[in-house]
Formats: sequence, C-alpha cells, structure tokens
Amino acid sequence: MEAAKKQNVSNLRRKWNKFWTYISKPQNAILLVLGIILTVTTIYPMVTILNDTVQIHPGSIDAPDPNASGAKALEKEAEKEAAHFTLLGNEMTTYNWVNLFTGTEITRINRKRVEMAVAATYLIPALKNSVLISIFACFGAILYGGIFAYLVTRTNLRFKKYLSAIFIFPYIMPQWTLAVMWENLFDSAAITGGSDGLFASLFGINMPQWWCEGLFPVSLVLSIHYAPFAYILIGGIFRNMDANLEEAATILNTPRYKTFARVTLPLVKPAILSTILLVFSSAMGSYPIPHYLGLDTLSTRYVQMNADRAGQASILAVIMMLFGILIMIVNQKTTSGRKNYTTVTGKSGQSSLVNLRLARTPISILFILLTLFMGIFPIILFAVETFLPNPGDYSFLKGNTSALTTKWWLNNENVTEQGMYGQKGILYNAEIWNAFKGTFIVAICCALAAGIIGTLIGYCVSKNRRSKWAAYVNNIAFLPYLMPSLAVGVAFFILSANIPNLYNSFLLLILAGTVKYIPFASRSSLNSMMQLSGEIEEAAIIQDIPWWKRMGRIIIPIQKTSIISGFLLPFMTCLRELTLFMLLCGQGKIITTMLGYFDEMGLYAFSSGINLILIIMILAFNALINKLTGASIDSGIGGDS
Amino acid sequence: MARIELSHVTKRWGGFYAVDDLDLLIDDNAFVTLLGPSGCGKTTTLRMIAGLETPTTGRITIDDMVVFDSDAGINIPPNKRRVGFLFQNYALWPNMTVFKNIAFGLSNIKEAGLSVTADGELIRDPKAGGTPRKLTKDEIKRIVDRVSAIVKIQPFMDRYPGELSGGQQQRVAIARTLAPSPRVLFMDEPLSNLDAKLRLEMRSELQRLHLSTGSTFVYVTHDQMEAMTLATKICLISNGVLQQYDEPLTVYNKPNNTFVADFVGNPAINFMNATGRQESDGSFSFKLLDKYEASFKPSEKIDLNDWYGVAEKEIAAFEAKVRPEEKTNKDVPFKYPVHMVNDEPDKEDFTREDFVIGVRPEFISITDDGPIEGEIFSAMPTGMETTVRVKVGNFLLTGVVFGGVTYKLGEKVRLKFTGDGTSIYSRINGRLIATGKLKVK
Repeated sequence: MEAAKKQNVSNLRRKWNKFWTYISKPQNAILLVLGIILTVTTIYPMVTILNDTVQIHPGSIDAPDPNASGAKALEKEAEKEAAHFTLLGNEMTTYNWVNLFTGTEITRINRKRVEMAVAATYLIPALKNSVLISIFACFGAILYGGIFAYLVTRTNLRFKKYLSAIFIFPYIMPQWTLAVMWENLFDSAAITGGSDGLFASLFGINMPQWWCEGLFPVSLVLSIHYAPFAYILIGGIFRNMDANLEEAATILNTPRYKTFARVTLPLVKPAILSTILLVFSSAMGSYPIPHYLGLDTLSTRYVQMNADRAGQASILAVIMMLFGILIMIVNQKTTSGRKNYTTVTGKSGQSSLVNLRLARTPISILFILLTLFMGIFPIILFAVETFLPNPGDYSFLKGNTSALTTKWWLNNENVTEQGMYGQKGILYNAEIWNAFKGTFIVAICCALAAGIIGTLIGYCVSKNRRSKWAAYVNNIAFLPYLMPSLAVGVAFFILSANIPNLYNSFLLLILAGTVKYIPFASRSSLNSMMQLSGEIEEAAIIQDIPWWKRMGRIIIPIQKTSIISGFLLPFMTCLRELTLFMLLCGQGKIITTMLGYFDEMGLYAFSSGINLILIIMILAFNALINKLTGASIDSGIGGDS
Repeated sequence: MARIELSHVTKRWGGFYAVDDLDLLIDDNAFVTLLGPSGCGKTTTLRMIAGLETPTTGRITIDDMVVFDSDAGINIPPNKRRVGFLFQNYALWPNMTVFKNIAFGLSNIKEAGLSVTADGELIRDPKAGGTPRKLTKDEIKRIVDRVSAIVKIQPFMDRYPGELSGGQQQRVAIARTLAPSPRVLFMDEPLSNLDAKLRLEMRSELQRLHLSTGSTFVYVTHDQMEAMTLATKICLISNGVLQQYDEPLTVYNKPNNTFVADFVGNPAINFMNATGRQESDGSFSFKLLDKYEASFKPSEKIDLNDWYGVAEKEIAAFEAKVRPEEKTNKDVPFKYPVHMVNDEPDKEDFTREDFVIGVRPEFISITDDGPIEGEIFSAMPTGMETTVRVKVGNFLLTGVVFGGVTYKLGEKVRLKFTGDGTSIYSRINGRLIATGKLKVK
C-alpha cells in the first residue's frame, strides 16, 4: 500500500519533471502558446462562417415573412418552416442550403416571369467563373512568368537588370491597378457605357465587349498580376540549377529541345506546382479585379448577396474555403514528394547562356514594351487622370492644354460645383489623409504582429523539425494564406457581427490582417532558419547564454534580412489590401476602402490620385528597405513556399 | 576534472535505435574517442552527454551529479552541465568578432566563487561561497588573452569569422570552448573540415591541450587513425551498439569481433575463411586459401566448446532484451570482406568448424623461404613503406613492406605469416576466439 503510494507520487513527480523539461525550452513553450492562439484565430472564424450558413438572418430570405401572401409565397413559408430546427436551444435553419441548391425563384427576364433555379442564378455561373479565372490565371502566370524567367536566367537577353526589377511591379502594385488601367484604356461609352477610355477618345476605336469586360480581361489581368510569383519561383530554380545536369545531357548528344523537355522542365516542376498553389486561391479570392472588369465570381457574388441572402452568401464563402483546404491538401502531398528535388540546388558552375542570336534584340524590346505597359504605364495613366477635368477627357493630347486642371489636388475650398461634390483637393482633404493614417496604423500593427509571430514560428518549427505539433502549428499558420482573402474577410466579418464594437475597429482589421499575413513572415523566417545550423545556437546554449540574449545577439542579427522581409511583406500587402478589409470597416477607415468609395461616386480623379500615391509609396518603401537592408519583397515571395 | 557514467542509455526514434542500451564509464582526465562509421550513433551519444539531445531511457551522471535519469524524470539542461562543446563546423557567430565570440559566453557567467588568476585562468568554485557576481571587463580580457595565446590567434582578435581560414576558425572555436573552464570538453569531429596537413598539426595540438587543461575530453570521429593516435581509450560503436571499449592498442591487437578488426587499421586486416578444428593440445589446425594447411597456436589457453558456451549465453542475453518497440535497424552479422580476384559465392550455414582468420598487413612478409606462392597484384610505394597486394590463387592478401622496395606487377613472390598477432574468429557469430601464432605448413 505504502509502496504503491510512493510509486504513484514518483510517477506524478516524473510526469511533472518531464513536462517541466519540455516547457522550459522556449521553443516548446512558444509553440504551445502560439498553437493554441492560432487554432482559435484560424479555426474559429472558419467555424463561424459554417455556423452562419445555418443561422436565421432577420430581414433576409431565410427569416419567416409574416406578410407572405399568395400560394407560391405561402409554399415558401412552409418550406422555411420545414427547414427550421433547434439545436442546443438555438433556432437554426437548413433553408439556406436547401434553397441555394434545390430552390427556385421567380425572376423577370424581358418582362416575363420565369421560374429559375436559385443555383442557376446565384451559384453556378459564379462558381464556374471563379474556377475558370483561377485556372486561367495559373496558366497565364506560369506561361508569362516562366518564359520570362527562362529568358532572364538562361539566355543572353538584354537589359536583364532593368527587366527583372520592373517585371515584379504588377505584383507590388494594388491588384486593381491593372484592372482600372484596362478600363481607362479600352472602355467606351458606346460599348461599356460610362466615359470614353483612351482608345475611344483618341483613336475612336471601340474595343469589343469581350475584350473590355468579363472572363478574358479578368484572367489576363490576374495572370499579369501573379506572373511575378512564377518568375521568382521558377527563376530561382533556373538560377540554382546545377548546369552539369544539362551539360551531361548535351555531352550525350541530346538535342536541345529534348534536354529542355526531359531534364529542365521536370526540374522546374516543383516551382510550377508552388505557383499553382499560391495563385489558384489568390485568384479565386480576388474581389477588385472581377468587380472592376464586370465578372460574376464567387467573391463579387458574395458582396451582392450579402444583404438579403446573407446565409447563402456564407455558403459561397464556405465553398471558397473548401478550395483553400483542397489546395492545402495538394500542397501537403506535393511537398513530401518534392524532397527528391532538393539536390537540385547544388553549387552550379557557370551555366552557358543560350544565344538568342537574331531574336535577341527584338525579344528584349518586346519585353521592355510589355513591362513598360504593365509596370510604368499605369503610374503615368493614373497621374494623367488626376489632371483631367472630366474623366476620359483626353483632349489635352490634341494640344488643348487648357483642358488640364489641378483642382483635384489643390482645391482648398468647399465647393459643390465642378464635380467636386464638396470634396477638397487630395492635398487638403482631411478624410483622405485620415484614411491614409488608418491604413498606416493597420499596416504597421499587422506587420509587427505578423512579423513577430511569423519569426517565432519559423524559429520554433526549425528547432522542432520532427515534432508533429510543430508541423501542425506551421500548417495552421499557413492555412490563411491558401484561403481566398474574401473568405478570411467574411469569417472576421461574421465574427464582428457577434461581438459588440468590433466592427469598424482597428482591432478587427489588425486581427484579420495579422492572421492572413503570418504566413508571409513564417515562410520567410522558416526558410532562413532552416538554413541556419542548429549548432550556432547550441554553441551559445552550452555557454549558458539565456534565450532572449541568444535571440537578440545571435539569431536575429544573423537572420536580419529575412526577418525584415517577414515584416516588410505584410506591411506592403496591408497598404494595398482591399478584399480582406472591405467587409470589416466603413469607407473612410482606410485608404483602399476610401478609394473604392470615390470610384463608386464617379470621382475617378480622386481614386486615381490615391492609387498613384499608394503605388509610389509602396515602390519607394520597397526600394528604400532594399537599399538599407538588402531585404526585398521579391526575395520574400521567392521563399520555397 | 570530471568522470562521466552512462548506464543503459537508449535513444530511439520510433523503431530506429540510434543508441542501443549503452553502458560507458569515462574516467576523470581521460581522452575518449567515440569511433564508428557514419550514422552509428556516436554523435548522438556525445550530444546526449552534453544535454543537446534527450535520451529515450537511461541515466547519465557527470561527476556525482545526475544530469539525466529517465526513471526519475531528471534532465539537467545543457547550460547547467558546465561542459564545453566543439562543433564540427565550428559554429562561430558570424556577426561577432573573434574577441566577442570568445568573450560573449564569459560576460554572461554569474555565480559565486569566481576568480581569475594573474595569468588569466578562470577558476569556478561555487563551494567557495560568496555572493554571485559577474566577471569584470578586465577579467574577461585576461581570460580571452590567455585562451587566445594557447591557440595562437592573438593577431586576429578584431576580425570576423568570415575573414579567417578554416584552421584559424577552428582555433577560435577551441578558444571559445576553453574560455569558461569547462569540466568536460566534447568534440564532434572537430578536424574533419581541415585539410590533411592541418589536421595532423591540430591533432598534436589537441593532445597537448588535453595535457595542459587536465579536462576530460570526449571526442567523436569516424577516422580510426585519429582515434588511435589521440585517445587514451576508444569506444567503438556500430548500429548504436557498443562493440569494444578499450585502449587503442588493445582494440587494434585484440579486436572483439570481425567488425572491430576490419574498422581499425589501415591498410585493413586480411580476412581468410578457414575450416578446421581444435586439437587435443589446444592448438588449431586449419585449411585455408583453398589448399594450404596451417596450424594456429593461441597465446592463451582456450577450449573452443567452453568458449562457444559463454558466447552463446551472451548472445542469447542480448537477444532476450526487452524492447518497447522492435528495432527496425536490425543488428545483422558483419559481412567481413574477403578479397578475391573473382568473387565466388559463399556458403551460408556455418558449423563450429568454420573460422575466420585475420592477419594484419604487417604480419605478412615477403621472403624467399615463405611457404605460400603468389604474384604481385598491385604495389603502392609511399617512400616510407610499400603496400603490396599479392594474389594467392583466387585470393588477394595485403601486406606492408617497409623501406623503398619496388615490385613489378606480376612478379612471382613467396609469402609467410609472422608474429603472434593473428586473430581467429567464429564464423557463426563473428566473435574473437583467440589471438596467437599462425603457421602454414
């Protein structure tokens, strides 16, 4: 009896000792805490969306309508009644699901009353378009970015330095930049309505509908926006690829095209897969591009449905999330197989560059034109827009310099005429600068929070490579990256509806931004920490140097470049983020929602001006930090993600 | 200054046993090398003693302090074990100068009983009492000066590690390890990144260092030459299992089994399969190299049947060990190499009449009166000695001839076995039966 008791005590004691040893290692303690926090911040909002699909939203179609009359309407009421159920004392309904997938609705088409399936109106076209633009964006980005990567790393293309710097501009710039530019260029009063674009007003060319709006321009713009991903990832492999691999094939007298197809391409495959993983869900969650270019996708449809079909809108968000999870599973599967390729990054000798011969200059010029058009031209165009008295009035190009105005910048009075709607010029407009301030608050806080958490995750995971818990924390932190931005936004939107005072608060924006951007920081930190030999820290542990001193004096100084990237990426992305934040705050809170507001108001000069300031600011920050620390946004995305 | 004891230490990842039930006693002031092929568990053992790796089960004590005990749940973190660790790739902090690299650890010590002698030796005696304090700047400078003088790196104090050569980096790493006066010095293949010449030089310096510091050294290497030349005792490990723990010459002359015999020695030992039996006078008679009859006289009296009785009991005990999980990296009998011109299939079932004979190259002598006929297969003169391979029938034997002798390939020679350092092993279990004198009739 006594012995058994003693045994028991020592057993407890042993377990306590074991736990204490485990937790007294900082990386374990941090992982434990972060794992729990991230599980809550990532999983809980997702559950909230799912839960929202079975909630009854007063005033929306799932709520009973006491004034219903007529046979059809009463039949609907009966359906709602049947879908009603109570769980743990909460009123819930399956009506949203049932109605979205199987219900019908009376709509008017050409003044005729037609009974249409709800799914055919609200779900199928949006889903189809979303999947299509995601596929096309992947394809386009890989094709354009991949070819460019090959040309820059493997051939004697001219102006490489300039080209590779400008090529990533479209990614650094806000998503909608190219979409707006497309509108400004090709829209015409005759085809798309609204004001004439540059083409229409200068040359009188009215581009066809399919060129101006819908699937084609959306896919194209997304491809260009995400091509830098493909360029950086594929180019990274091309650059590090051991030239001997190709030379071995050349020596065996293999034709060049065969070497490319059988040796080079398979080696690039992991980078192509990575690009697909990153682009697919990003494209799917993009709101501004399909919004501006008029395409019905899950994200635009969500925003339309949010008022009277809130529960069904949440179902769309769930579908987007499922794609995110699917992508994560694919990612998991491919990363395990990808290890085979790690030997690729050997110390390569100087690889011989393919001589483009006669095509050298034409190809170089072609790419200079393309990058100018996509990287520099939008900036110029935005700048010009801010000096036009009326949108689309390009008459100054015909020599009429009096058709330019500085009022959008400099107007200091409260005027309602001249199309100013009582707004002061950008430089004097307190609301605009307030929104800029808001953006900075959010961006700085997100960058700090995401950067610190991401760096810690990278550090802790690299210390516990075999641990399943570490792998879980790493995955849960990465999951939001693969979630379409809109879905993450929706999750926090629903969350804010349940907590008083959260909506439109900086806290909410910072929370959403941090969760969404931790992956940037954790990836870049993990990549570099993995390359840091564990012995560097062990040498300090052995000498009894405390953890905070090891971090502060050894780890962080060594890794400062990648850690700064981990702060920089969330910061930059936050500055230009719209999709994630647009549901979470009022229009004047941050600059991107402000920009959307001016666009809706038709004050294009303001939105162009804001755009211009944003782009220049982001480019300037990127250049400055690159100069100061060597860290840059492109090296950040370029991780091995 | 420290005595280390490991008992029943096991480290496994699932069914993979990196270290399997290791017992080891490292005496105070010893210079022990952990030797074995890559992946045999020697670095894991070292890291477990240092506390950088946590054993799965077992108990480790340094001096009288239990630093790890799985039953009691004790696990003293590495920083409290007061040990020094020299890493394979030096692990110098690239963002600090040489001076800072050495001083950083010192500036962090805060304990009672600190004192620094006039010539810069740090004395840490917590029992001396007093209030805990930190070292002053001046004291740190004196200590750094002393250790940098030992390894002769004073001219580089303001440089960064990236600006030093491999050998200089190595010296800085040693100085950094020595500075806080560790009780034990652990070294994980510290010389393997150096070129051959520098390695030889550092080896002799390490030996001097051992003498002058009086610390216990534990040294991991896969280079048997390094182990032989440096150690007071060699601990040879294979597949996580201790094979032999003895002084270098014992390991060389009386290897426990064919694995040890093959691993230690360069050029490697010659193995020959033989069949035979023990005669009534205690000697053995063999048939070897296809046609030669030989007799073997053990240096110490031995009875083969008794020997088998003991060996089988030990093997049964090893196999009966209770394991929480089956060992996936199974212990398979060592496949000792028998060098042949054309490889022949070997038989698979062995009886007590099957033996392996091991003859070190220096015990093969080329003389005209030798009973064995052969021809020169290859000859590699280094100036000081010549390593020759002689073809005997289908077999190849390696010998070492001192002095600048040159041989023509294909030249007919005669061989004989000399000395009393020949070893014989059982083919059933690969264990050493006896050493003695082999004579071919």
